[in-house]
Amino acid sequence: MTLSPAEYASLSLGDIRTGLDRRHFSARELAEAAFAAIEALEAGRVEAFLSLTPELALRAADEVDAQLAAGSGVADIGLLAGVPLGFKDNMNLLGSYTTCGSRMLENYESTLNATCVSKALAAGALPMGKLNMDEFAFGSSTETSSFKKTHNPWDLERVPGGSSGGSAAAVASGMLTASLGSDTGGSIRQPASFCGVVGFKPSYGVVSRYGVVAFGSSLDQVGPFARSVADVAALTDAICGYDPLDCTSQDVPASFSASVVAGQSDGIKGMRVGVVSEYLEAPGITTEVVLAFKEALRHVQDLGATIVELELPNAYAALSAYYVIGPCEAFSNLSRFDAVRYGFCVEGATNLTEQYELSRAQGFGLETKRRILLGNYLLSSGVYTTYYYPAQQVRTLITQDYRRAFEQADVLLTPTSPRTAFRFGEVSDPTSMHLSDIFTIPINIAGNGGLNLPVGLGEESGLPVGLQIIGPQFKDGNILRVAAALEATYDIERLAPLSGALSGGAA
Amino acid sequence: MKSLATVLQDWEAVIGLEVHTELTTLGSKMFCGCKIEYGAPPNTHVCPVCLGMPGALPVPNRAAIESIVLAGLATGCDIEKHSMFYRKHYFYPDMAKNFQTTQGPVAFCMRGTLDLEVLGASAGERTHLQGTTPLAREEGYLTRIGITRIHMEEDAGKLVHVGGESGRISGADYSLVDYNRCGMPLIELVTEPDLRTPEEARLFLQKLRTIYLTLAISNCSMEQGSLRCDGNVSLRPRGSEKLGTKTELKNMNSFKNLHDGLAYEICRQAEVLEEGGRVRQETRHWEPASRRTISMRSKETADDYRLFPDPDLAPYHLSDEFIQRVAARLPELPDARVARYLAAYVLNAADARALAGEIELARFFDAALEAGSSKLAKPLANLLLNEVSAYLNTESVALAETRLDPQHLAELAGLVADGTISSMQGRQVLALVFARGVSPAELVEELGIRQVSDTGEIEAVAQTVLDNNADKVAEYRAGKTKLLGFFVGEAMKATGGTANPKLLNQTFQRLLS
Repeated sequence: MTLSPAEYASLSLGDIRTGLDRRHFSARELAEAAFAAIEALEAGRVEAFLSLTPELALRAADEVDAQLAAGSGVADIGLLAGVPLGFKDNMNLLGSYTTCGSRMLENYESTLNATCVSKALAAGALPMGKLNMDEFAFGSSTETSSFKKTHNPWDLERVPGGSSGGSAAAVASGMLTASLGSDTGGSIRQPASFCGVVGFKPSYGVVSRYGVVAFGSSLDQVGPFARSVADVAALTDAICGYDPLDCTSQDVPASFSASVVAGQSDGIKGMRVGVVSEYLEAPGITTEVVLAFKEALRHVQDLGATIVELELPNAYAALSAYYVIGPCEAFSNLSRFDAVRYGFCVEGATNLTEQYELSRAQGFGLETKRRILLGNYLLSSGVYTTYYYPAQQVRTLITQDYRRAFEQADVLLTPTSPRTAFRFGEVSDPTSMHLSDIFTIPINIAGNGGLNLPVGLGEESGLPVGLQIIGPQFKDGNILRVAAALEATYDIERLAPLSGALSGGAA
Repeated sequence: MKSLATVLQDWEAVIGLEVHTELTTLGSKMFCGCKIEYGAPPNTHVCPVCLGMPGALPVPNRAAIESIVLAGLATGCDIEKHSMFYRKHYFYPDMAKNFQTTQGPVAFCMRGTLDLEVLGASAGERTHLQGTTPLAREEGYLTRIGITRIHMEEDAGKLVHVGGESGRISGADYSLVDYNRCGMPLIELVTEPDLRTPEEARLFLQKLRTIYLTLAISNCSMEQGSLRCDGNVSLRPRGSEKLGTKTELKNMNSFKNLHDGLAYEICRQAEVLEEGGRVRQETRHWEPASRRTISMRSKETADDYRLFPDPDLAPYHLSDEFIQRVAARLPELPDARVARYLAAYVLNAADARALAGEIELARFFDAALEAGSSKLAKPLANLLLNEVSAYLNTESVALAETRLDPQHLAELAGLVADGTISSMQGRQVLALVFARGVSPAELVEELGIRQVSDTGEIEAVAQTVLDNNADKVAEYRAGKTKLLGFFVGEAMKATGGTANPKLLNQTFQRLLS
């Protein structure tokens, strides 16, 4: 009754629940199969993990098994009982290193559990390890990690997207059933799109940020990756809600799975689905992305929803506002990494200032330094009123745009990214890299939720293309309902072909 | 250097204060649940939040917001319903996050005032009395000091430099950081540059301290550093409207140091200016031992703290209901207390002010009067301001730590007032009450110390004294009437202090006439 890595890789959360309940496999077998899959696909192939936590995972698995043996049903144990789950490496997990993909924190051991982590653990999840990311989440390809490059399971020559590239690649390859990531400007949705999995960034405040190392405090949001809409909904139900340790968190009911059921059973007939036509002429958008998007609109119409043309007159300024607010907050949040209490510290500095300067110069990578310097400049006196203040005003206008737009629509659809996954080093200048986030960034600026739904492979590249579904703030149920209904109209393989290696097939 | 009085003849000093107060009476720090405890072993009251560990987030202490609103209401400030926390960045190991969470242009409390009564000799230091109100019946004036703002922030940790000279950083082998204080709730009050003399500055700080103690928001200990005051001072020629270059003065950790530090700095600046020099904008350190200020660092280029709204803390909105609820908790403030004492009791203004200025004494006074008659106000005030205060000073204890309670003090004042015991016996009884915590009436009973007011008994004692001192009687009769005191003293000695001194006086005068 051993579970093979290939069988494991195809399991959904629902399959795990059923399998455990019917004693088809134990939680320990799940964990062991997961580590076998990682063994097969990680080294020299996907390289999604920065560290593995087998002791923690097996202990959690044994606890689940003990509860099952004692007569508990899976539902009593928790929404994520037995689910092999990975965490982006900016999430503190006791018993693990939390490096944020940075040399600065290479040897930093967590002193606490992030709230999203402790909620997942309380729901019975098995903590498998920590996932690669762009350094401090600064990037869209996971290439700025100080430690390794993560490869896109659909084409190992290509990036998985970022910054939560490890989280997306681990799920797409079948190494993990699900993972958590964080999204400041698209860092969940864009890698989900590049890797062909479902990635969901709820509205700002739905999931506590406590214990997740901050990049842009007013923009950061935690969310799940999985291979189905139902799975990301269940994961969100497990980790959402008000947290007394994060005063920007919101009291949101765990009703995401219910929205999925509504989408599956009642459909979306009569719902108003917004589009912004100009988006299809965005700089750098590829034909295959436009075609896939238009096809998605046909599916939506077939389901009986109404297409509504929306205007977001100020959204064009979102990128500018983002590249002011983001670096300002990042500069401030990263001030604490000063080599005094923890983290990378040079040897032999002769005084405090030298220790600060040399440690930060050697501990931080190029993109991180770029953002710190930018934020440092943008907040300096005299400059503040020219950039930061107007950026906040722009942010208010954009937020109002979305609020107004959502008076006419229940969701808004856009492509997730203008293109599919690119090759390593293919996009090297920061400005072009930033353009891969043009559809996702405005949503962080406004604070709404957004989800990437895979809508097939690009006609030209053969790589996954994603659709972004955006909802009104705190009405993330709309997103999941539409996503669930739309998902059912596609017949798409969510596991990357690489997973074939698990059953002895060619990678 | 010229004296302060001389300098102030030619120059007008313009002084503003920045007063930092730790909210020591709260249960926990500003943005985390760590306990507040002075003198705890280093780094025992710390957590991921106040240590600035990666991923930790601040949560504001609501009780601290109530405290600052109380402080604002007590100093006539407008309470701003919408304000924000800001981050102020600087790299130093005493602040774990390398930014201090403080407030921006809008603080919780804005635009307040505090009225000062300046009396006695130092009232003469202010030569330019425009804008003040002369005080009737007394030498002095009343002046209103503007308060710019009171904002909420967090304290930094404490650095201990080891190996150098007298704990200074220069020459130290290494430095230790204690983060127990890091994240302590701190309120900073900034005055308008309305103060004109060191005495006004001292009075301002004393009055503010009494108000804060009345509000019970801090223990206001300058010794422990829970009340800290910096001064900004500049000079301008008398009659000039243009402000001079200011210096910022630090390390004035007592009322006396505040006064003396400012006085020194005023005289120093006058000397620089009179010699044709220019005052440098800088931070200076008051050294009480050498009684001078020394330059710490130049402030001619402003620090750039890169202030911006803290994105981890949502803008703060105080409801009318919240402000009203806090206002309802406002206790009687010192000015109102003085007014009440003067209206309700036969007390002179100086005693009323002295009592109201020491919140512990004032509360005790009120409680004692509740237990006794309002006629006892004067003797109670005397007991508290003299005997009781002297005892507290000698023993270095707080009133609350003694065994004296208000009922007993009222009882004692009553026994003296109705002549049951003499005031000398009263002092004797008070000492025993402090020692044993028992009722004065019981003590009087137990010791049998009653004041002798029986005229026959008194006359007998007086006669004995006269009989035993025939020579002195002769001198008295020859005109040395000062000897009356001697006879009374002898009679008191003979009766062990139990004789009624008033009756003795009258009796001796009669017998000797």
